[in-house]
Amino acid sequence: MFTHTPLRLTTLALLAAGSLSYAYIAGFFGLEILAEIAILAILVIALDLVAGFGGMVSLCHGALLGVGAYAFTVAATEAGLPALPAMLLSVALSSVLAFAIGAVCARSTGIYFIMATLAFGQMAYSFVFQSPLFGGDDGLSGAPRPDLTAIGIDFTDSRAFAVYTILLVALSYLIASATLRSGLGRSLVGIHHNEKRLRALGLTVWRAKATAFAISGALAGLAGCLAAQHTQYVSPGLLSWTVSGEALVVVILGGLGTLVGPLLGAILFVVLKHEISAITPYWHAIVGLILIAVVMSRAKGVFGFIEARWEARSPKPVVKEAKADA
Amino acid sequence: MKSTFKAALAGLVTSTAMLSAAYAEDIKVGMLLPYSGVYAALGQDIDDAFALGLETYGADSGVTFEIVREDDEVKPPVGLAKTKKLILQDEVDVMVGVVSSGVLGAIRDTVDGAGVPLIVANAGNDEATGEQCSPFITRVSFSNSQVNRPMGKWMVDQGVKKVFTIAPDYAAGRQMIDAFTTAFTAAGGEVVGQEWPAFQKTQDFGPYLANAKASGADAVYVFFAGGEAISFVKQYDSFGLQAEMPLYGSGFLTSALYVEAEGPAAEGVITALHYVPTLDNPENAAFVEAFKAKTGRIPSEYAVQGYDSARALVEAVKAGATDRETLAAALPKVAFTGPRGELRIDPATNNIVQPIHVYETVAGPEGLTQKVLATLPAEADPANGCEMPVATN
Amino acid sequence: MTTDLGFWVLQTLNALQLSMLLFLLSVGLTVIFGLMHFVNLAHGSLYAFGAYVAATLAETLGYWGGFVLAPLAVAALGAVLYFTLIRSQRRAGPMAQVLVTFGLIFVAVDATRLIWGDLPIGIAVPALLDGQIALLGVEYPVYRLFIIALGLAVLAVLTLILTRTQIGAMIRAGVDNDQMAACLGINVERMFFLVFVVGCALAGLAGAVAAPVLSVTPDMGLQILIPTLIVIVIGGLGSLKGAVAGALIFGFVQTFGAVLLPTLSSVLIYALLAAVLVTRPEGLLPAKG
Repeated sequence: MFTHTPLRLTTLALLAAGSLSYAYIAGFFGLEILAEIAILAILVIALDLVAGFGGMVSLCHGALLGVGAYAFTVAATEAGLPALPAMLLSVALSSVLAFAIGAVCARSTGIYFIMATLAFGQMAYSFVFQSPLFGGDDGLSGAPRPDLTAIGIDFTDSRAFAVYTILLVALSYLIASATLRSGLGRSLVGIHHNEKRLRALGLTVWRAKATAFAISGALAGLAGCLAAQHTQYVSPGLLSWTVSGEALVVVILGGLGTLVGPLLGAILFVVLKHEISAITPYWHAIVGLILIAVVMSRAKGVFGFIEARWEARSPKPVVKEAKADA
Repeated sequence: MKSTFKAALAGLVTSTAMLSAAYAEDIKVGMLLPYSGVYAALGQDIDDAFALGLETYGADSGVTFEIVREDDEVKPPVGLAKTKKLILQDEVDVMVGVVSSGVLGAIRDTVDGAGVPLIVANAGNDEATGEQCSPFITRVSFSNSQVNRPMGKWMVDQGVKKVFTIAPDYAAGRQMIDAFTTAFTAAGGEVVGQEWPAFQKTQDFGPYLANAKASGADAVYVFFAGGEAISFVKQYDSFGLQAEMPLYGSGFLTSALYVEAEGPAAEGVITALHYVPTLDNPENAAFVEAFKAKTGRIPSEYAVQGYDSARALVEAVKAGATDRETLAAALPKVAFTGPRGELRIDPATNNIVQPIHVYETVAGPEGLTQKVLATLPAEADPANGCEMPVATN
Repeated sequence: MTTDLGFWVLQTLNALQLSMLLFLLSVGLTVIFGLMHFVNLAHGSLYAFGAYVAATLAETLGYWGGFVLAPLAVAALGAVLYFTLIRSQRRAGPMAQVLVTFGLIFVAVDATRLIWGDLPIGIAVPALLDGQIALLGVEYPVYRLFIIALGLAVLAVLTLILTRTQIGAMIRAGVDNDQMAACLGINVERMFFLVFVVGCALAGLAGAVAAPVLSVTPDMGLQILIPTLIVIVIGGLGSLKGAVAGALIFGFVQTFGAVLLPTLSSVLIYALLAAVLVTRPEGLLPAKG
């Protein structure tokens, strides 16, 4: 069951304060990285929602993000919609697609679920890669950023854009945590622990799974819209299964099933990637080694490690708070 | 007083220009190349030869060149992020590089909007010097159409009447083949069939080769590059097709970089390209010798593009350019005779104008080598919708 | 074209050749999964390693030197992996396994770049198998027929071992229920190790066999991974028959899809996979029940 322990609330507050003040002082490249982190953070919140709490390890979240990005670009450039309706439309599309994938894959578990999501993700990737409508391998350019100049906000400015992405991370986090605390969230966690029992209790398991997947897909689609707005360019690489794989890496690195941990994971991953790739072109190998070490250590990621240390120090208040909170 | 006021008004925008004006002796070069990923070897060739070019021509220019390297990983979003870093954080005076057309497409608007001159050292998509041309983008490598178009008429002249074409299904593959088939049919040839295998997903070309064989064509014309080129050439030979249907193509197919890996299967393949290391001219002899001494490798077409990028930059500096604005204005005006022959930039598109060399891969004393069969005269690309605006900074 | 018998013969041979190559790769992966419940995403990297070793050895020892030694080298690497990573992750669940071996892919790709460089490598077809042979009215490369024959031979040997020998019976018992097998006095640990190493050797063999046909590149392991996974999931994880069926389905759909329905070819195989997973979530011929 997902609860907001004091440690989690403190971490969230620190993250919010830290990212906003960094957005205030950062130089241009810092702001670019901040936006990159924020977009990844939304994707991993989406993934943790289904993988961490529902046990649905998905390798199609990259594709859901890509669908959002492409839908936004096409809606905003070809169809000429303003940015906000285009965003709503593409988030809805990703969500509907995710619902369908979730419903179809609901019967599969474990490795079969992973493979089934991989298949659907690759299907979307191949479709976009081959279709001349979407610019094929060369991608599409020209995705606009929302125009709020009427109220004095200019999103072509990196600082305003970074703050906007951070606010959307906060929104995504609220949606995810509200979902988890709702009846649906409880059913999801229950299914993960004992699917048979929940089915015996009369729950329509596939519908719960698919609905959770749809909410997760909507968030992934939102991340896709932001990715398109950030680089103002989309390419099929966004849909690749390795994007999903990397997102999974970030979730594990940060702490699966903690919702807060993946946020830390996103920061760590992006910063590490930039730092290591500045030193060596072989940065993939180093990221790979770190990943192996984290998984082998059996710690629940960085945040899991912090939580374990915290609870070891002051076990009782945390448990009490958690119960009161639940 | 007046000048201070002006500078304050212009603010951030001109601060970089002022910076480079203050240190007129330094030119900061941002290199955007794939140092990892599938094109890493190409990036390395361009990088090595660019350094060689600066050593060779830049020594007496009175200017120090500082190079900032960034890896675009052949991923458009990464290339774009690195471009923004080079322009806004490192405040480079000029950018050089870009191997993939996808990356070029992604960074085009940013480079154009920021008014930073970009010397394209590889990416060949026609649009970059066509409908998407920019006064800030100068290409010294090639365009996809440029290297394929001349083969159309040349092959008809050699007696080839019917061809079958095969190329990967993506923008560059289609551009290369379309440029060839347009010229080939205009000269009286006939295209009897076409295959477009999925790009980067096809390792086994057997199914397509069977179709080519059944088509009754005189010859097969293809475009492939990198690992796909190696697989294709070897598989073409393994089906015994070379004897009945000679293989022609865009010269990347049997590039000096890959021909060793293709082995005897590449013998007799006839292709066209803007550079082969066996060109017989004094500039090329000096270049091949210097590049071999520096790296131990034979220079590829990618190397010569890096070398000529450096030469173009030095020529622009020697013509008096000192910052983004003056470099952008000077680069399209450079013209020189290099290893490839006589080069100039077409002011209508900022694309290079260069001769194209038809060559056959033959067995030589030290492995496979390139025998130049013909050098087709330089021909500027049509404007393709490019309306070159006047450079404003 | 499609009314010509030669076309069908030629494309059928092409499909068989691709199927057999995929069979060599997937059989190890699927039996390892059936027995140990371990998902090794780095299986493709072992194939790439085999191809590189074969290409390197071909320069000094000739093709056959690489053909024999590459599977052994990959088996040795597999043994090292088994004791460092695989054994401890066996009971860690599919996600941990997917992630550890995903990390391994990153390391493997960069390691091959460091050792062998970025440029693709190619080796020649051995003189013995060079050229073409007339078969059912078409000229077909001898080397491709060799791949088909080798795949069939490996299939025959594996079938014999699994159905007629004691170790085969032990493996089948292990796939059915490894705890029960352990209770019956089978040294399950040793059997796991053996199967894992043999699976690696077969991946290395596939790499060595593919090297003269394809170009050897750092990302070849990643490229082959998805087709291999599709094969074993369609066939049903853990079963030899499933690997054969999956490989044949993939080979034929891919080959005939490419020439008959080129616009749909790349989506076709994924659609088929999705259809199989929806109707038969455990694959067509699962190991159990």
